[in-house]
Amino acid sequence: MSEQDKNIRTALRHAQDLVEADGAPEFGRVWAAAEIRVREQRKRRYAGFAAAAAATVLVVGLLSPTDPSSPDFRYLDIDELLGSTSWSAPSDTLLPTHQIDLYQDVPMLIESTERYEGSLL
Amino acid sequence: MRDNDVLDNNPYISRSALEAIHEQVFAWALSRSGYDRAIAEDLVQQAYVELLTGKARFKEWSSLRTFVFGVVQNLANSRFRRVASRMRLLREFANDAQDNHVQATEPDENRELWQAVQQLPQRQRDIVELVFCRDMSIAQASSVIGVTTGTGRVHYDRAKKALRAKLQTTEQRQEALHE
Repeated sequence: MSEQDKNIRTALRHAQDLVEADGAPEFGRVWAAAEIRVREQRKRRYAGFAAAAAATVLVVGLLSPTDPSSPDFRYLDIDELLGSTSWSAPSDTLLPTHQIDLYQDVPMLIESTERYEGSLL
Repeated sequence: MRDNDVLDNNPYISRSALEAIHEQVFAWALSRSGYDRAIAEDLVQQAYVELLTGKARFKEWSSLRTFVFGVVQNLANSRFRRVASRMRLLREFANDAQDNHVQATEPDENRELWQAVQQLPQRQRDIVELVFCRDMSIAQASSVIGVTTGTGRVHYDRAKKALRAKLQTTEQRQEALHE
């Protein structure tokens, strides 16, 4: 380094020292403030994530169609079930048509008196 | 390095190592902020935030001081510059600029040289300050201001020429006064 360079350095350092004479603020204070800033940034980020997640759940819940194949479980009341059902025989439909009870009287069959090989015909 | 001193998101940086270079970092931030102490403190604080969050990750490719100076420089060049100018405007509007602002006055014998440095183009001024006042090599200073060593050397040479010329003029004037 030349003599002139040394002069420049000395002069600049002197000027710099005057400018920086007040010194730096305490490290601990600056560091603590930086840590607070980091915590606030994290809080804001988490709050953002939480809000986004809640909004997503809400939107998905509102927009998703209900599944028709899913079983609808309900408890049944036996009395209510029996009271609400009725059973009818298929032959019941004949009754209104003919106005007779086909099975009311058993038809009389003429008994055979003749025998064939030991049995009645 | 003390126990539990290492930053979670920056395993090669310890709090105590940062504390050791804090004054130099602040001085550099002061220069980056136009010698406004409030802005410089905010700038250093933001640089520490970048280190704490791991946004600026130190990988031991340079010295810690060079790295942190670079972080401060980048912050000053980007988003923070806008904030800084806004803060300055606000403070000027509030009429209390004198409270925080360092008076960059210097003794008479150095005034002209100091002014000559201030009049240099930005990169020349930065490299002169880093090499002459912060004891950095040209390579380190180039790394801080984000240029190649070759470009840094060119800036350094041009700055030195300009300052030499200024010094010669001053010396000649002083000699003429003595005669």
